[in-house]
Amino acid sequence: MPLTRREFLLAGAAAGAFVGAGVVLPVAITLRDENGGPDSEALIYPRQRIASLSELQEGTPVFFDYPLVGQSNLLVKVGAPAEAGVGPDGDVVAFSNLCTHMGCPITTYQAAEGVLGPCPCHFTTFDLAHDAQVTLGQATQQLPRVLLTADGDDIYADGLLRLVYGHQNSLVGAEPVS
Amino acid sequence: MTTPQPAQPRPAQPRPAQAQPHPAQAASVPLPPADATVHSTCCEYCPVACGYKVYTWPVGRTGGPLAADNALGVDFPTSALTGRWPSETMHSTVRVGGAPHNVIIIPDADSEVVNVGGTHSVRGGALAKKVYDEKGLTADRLQHPMLRVSGQLVPIGWDVATDMVAELSSYVIENYGELAWGMKIYSYQYYENTYAASKLGLGAIGTPNWSPHHAPAEGDDVPGLSDSGIDAFSAAFEDDREADVLFIAGSDPYETKTVRFTTWQSPGGAKIIYVDPRRTFTAAYAENNGGLHLQLRPGTDTALYNAIVREIIERGWEDGEFIRDHVASRAELDEDSKWRRALFGRTFEEITEYLMSSDEFTPEGAERETGVPADKIRQAASMLTAGGAPERPRATVLFEKGLYWSHNYENTAAIANLGVVLGSTGRPGRAISRMGGHQRGGNKAAGYPLDKSPHSYEGNPVEMDTERWLVEGNTRFRWVVGTNWLGAMGGTAALTRAVADLTTRGPAVTSVDPATALEQLKARIDADGMVIVHQEIYENESTPYADIVLPAATWGEEDFARNNAERRLRIYEKFMDPPGEARPDWQIFAEVGRKMGFDGFDWADSNEIFEEGAAASSGGRRDYGALVEKARAEGKRGHDLLRELGTQGLQTPLTLEGGELVETVRQHADLTFKTASGKANFVLADWDAVKARNELLAPDPARGEFWVLNGRINALWNNMFDFARREIATTRWPMNFLEVNPADAEDLGVVSGDLLSIESDRVIDQLGEPSTGGFTAVAYVSDIVPPGVTFTYFLYPGSPANTVTPADSNLQPINLRYNFKLGRGVVTKIGTTELAGKMSFAPRNLAPTST
Repeated sequence: MPLTRREFLLAGAAAGAFVGAGVVLPVAITLRDENGGPDSEALIYPRQRIASLSELQEGTPVFFDYPLVGQSNLLVKVGAPAEAGVGPDGDVVAFSNLCTHMGCPITTYQAAEGVLGPCPCHFTTFDLAHDAQVTLGQATQQLPRVLLTADGDDIYADGLLRLVYGHQNSLVGAEPVS
Repeated sequence: MTTPQPAQPRPAQPRPAQAQPHPAQAASVPLPPADATVHSTCCEYCPVACGYKVYTWPVGRTGGPLAADNALGVDFPTSALTGRWPSETMHSTVRVGGAPHNVIIIPDADSEVVNVGGTHSVRGGALAKKVYDEKGLTADRLQHPMLRVSGQLVPIGWDVATDMVAELSSYVIENYGELAWGMKIYSYQYYENTYAASKLGLGAIGTPNWSPHHAPAEGDDVPGLSDSGIDAFSAAFEDDREADVLFIAGSDPYETKTVRFTTWQSPGGAKIIYVDPRRTFTAAYAENNGGLHLQLRPGTDTALYNAIVREIIERGWEDGEFIRDHVASRAELDEDSKWRRALFGRTFEEITEYLMSSDEFTPEGAERETGVPADKIRQAASMLTAGGAPERPRATVLFEKGLYWSHNYENTAAIANLGVVLGSTGRPGRAISRMGGHQRGGNKAAGYPLDKSPHSYEGNPVEMDTERWLVEGNTRFRWVVGTNWLGAMGGTAALTRAVADLTTRGPAVTSVDPATALEQLKARIDADGMVIVHQEIYENESTPYADIVLPAATWGEEDFARNNAERRLRIYEKFMDPPGEARPDWQIFAEVGRKMGFDGFDWADSNEIFEEGAAASSGGRRDYGALVEKARAEGKRGHDLLRELGTQGLQTPLTLEGGELVETVRQHADLTFKTASGKANFVLADWDAVKARNELLAPDPARGEFWVLNGRINALWNNMFDFARREIATTRWPMNFLEVNPADAEDLGVVSGDLLSIESDRVIDQLGEPSTGGFTAVAYVSDIVPPGVTFTYFLYPGSPANTVTPADSNLQPINLRYNFKLGRGVVTKIGTTELAGKMSFAPRNLAPTST
């Protein structure tokens, strides 16, 4: 029996493993784009509280799923002004940590350099202070960026830029996080 | 009357990044429906040539997320490493038969060769952004044949354009001889195009004024290896995986032959000995994983390999059995009629005597010459041979342009000797090979007319240095095909100045009337001037000097075939319409050939050329004659049989046994070599010659000069014809960069993001004279380069790095090649850029300890 996407992640699926993912179809599609596909404007990004600014430690990432279960991200205070960074120092950013090359989860954050990686599969590194540009490596997209809002001490996720690895549509294919 | 100057070069500046989508709009990519049309192709770029599938279907439909509802055959979301996730970058919109279509270009996840399981590099993974999209960043493809009139390019239609090219060609050949007619053309770009071009230039016209995109002269790029009798592309990728030790010099395989590294090298677990003045990703990877980084000073490869070979011989660690049975004696060498082998071929005893003759080749001596610690030289010799253990480790030696474009003959000879002393050839995991720059699509319909070349070495003819010939004013017509010629040659600034002069002699073209324009161009030719035809897919920095511009159709717009670096022959299928009036190069050569009155240019399609070219491939490493023979026996076209083989293809040379095709996984498997005796040999790698050249070329710190090395990097490809129009590339690299060591940066008062000038008044030009040149780039401060050494991308538009590289082929008279990798210049901060907050300046050499 195939694992669900969440089981796949909880199992800490090792690099190199081929794991079948369960398919969850979107529940509400009301419009179609020019190709007749699901029109994403009909699908609403939920707001989700991610962390407290006061509890963030510089260089120590916080991992969370958003917007769908199994869409793993990391939030990090990089310690220097970052593109699209939030918080009083403009240095809090969050990105999908599923490598946009071939989908391996990247958990190695190198705080001194502000980079995520190298990816265990094909060694791509992403510069989190620069909108997850591919510093060196094989991904054909920057990592999807989580759109953050800081409101007092709370940091919220309000959306996602760019396509999450494995998905045809970033808001389609799994249950929303609750 | 004043003579109009050519328009200033108008580099293809990177486009600004596209606006980000509104955040409420979730990113998505259309999936190919189950009935989408599927084509087979390979990546256009590096010599690994990963296999790809191309899905096209009309705009207005999309496949569904269930496996049964999409052509990729997987449920979405798909999981890691399936190789079946199209990123947004893998999709574009094109026209097929005039109608708008979606296209997804994705690595072939079913592949069991090359990119097994559908892995890819950042270059190939973005192939969908290469295609002509009339509303996208590639909308500026050349679409119409054009004539420059009063400085402006105006469309003239194919019939007029090919009339003019044919007439001007005939005029020059009739009045000034075929040596005044030149062609500068890609060496690699598909068998059908290179065959047709060479049938015209080398065959019908018979000119020696013919050179490839990367060198001033036709000929062998790795003469030292060739003179050892070993083919430059003898290895298979599986040799990398089966090796115990990989000795890699002059190219970072992770950066520039990516999938060869990630699929064939790192998973095999071989210890890597990596040779490079820069501490690149692979240097760090080697050191982190039990290997070595031999960080030599620029230009000192020959001394390093001579020392390693000597250390191996001194300790008795050579492959004695191979040397006894398969390395030529003096008598056998003397049987060989090839002049270079006669001059430089050496027996084992002779090369031993040479290496023992100088203290420079002891580990300590070589440390002084190269900067590599003596201990590491000893370690390298020991790792390559397991210290003489009875069971010899499988050692493979791989190299590329950092090696052979610093000192061509001696470096390729020295590394050949390493391969021969290790017996590293023809056996699984034991090979010596180029890794390759481009793929291998060169096929020649006729031999190079060496007897007509005006250039020679000690009485032996060598291929013409076409750039020197041109600067001297001998070329009256030059047809430039598929290259930014000026930027790609050494001494770019001096060459550009000469071209600007030669193309403005005599009257200017002031009339759109073809007959009048022809008379004006002929008058320029008669005034010791030059006419340039530029055949390209985009304008580049050479186009402003062209009088006639011809738009080419390219990858995906015609059926083509070529080999990769393990001689794997595959089809590159047409799947879309070319832009405007653009035509495949072969059609243009054929039409001009017919109009010049030559026979044999009547091909109906590219398959006919492929089949005709089989005979020309005979006997070489690319021999595909057996495939065409089998196709004919089965009543098929050659391209169609190749199409049936998909992205797997076959490794050439091919033979037929019992009606079945047999491929050649690796060459020299029978341990016979390309010499008169069939035995390999050592080759003199003359360090004194290199030292003398280094004295001429080295930077002078007292003048504030640095080494200015150049090469490829992971995210970019060549003159960026595609990559300047690709968001993933221009976001990462909005400008050219110059890597500067932190200590040097501090001395210069430079931080990452500053704008630098790199300038030299000691560029040795095409005529051997000191000359000037310079370019600008953004500072990237990094310990990837050692003090005194800088590194830049070699062909970034608007940043002509070859303005500071030498262009005197007389420096290497054995084989006329440039010392491309040995530029020098003074580095000065001239300002700042806005890039400090936008562009990543993070280290590019963060390698894992193990995987």
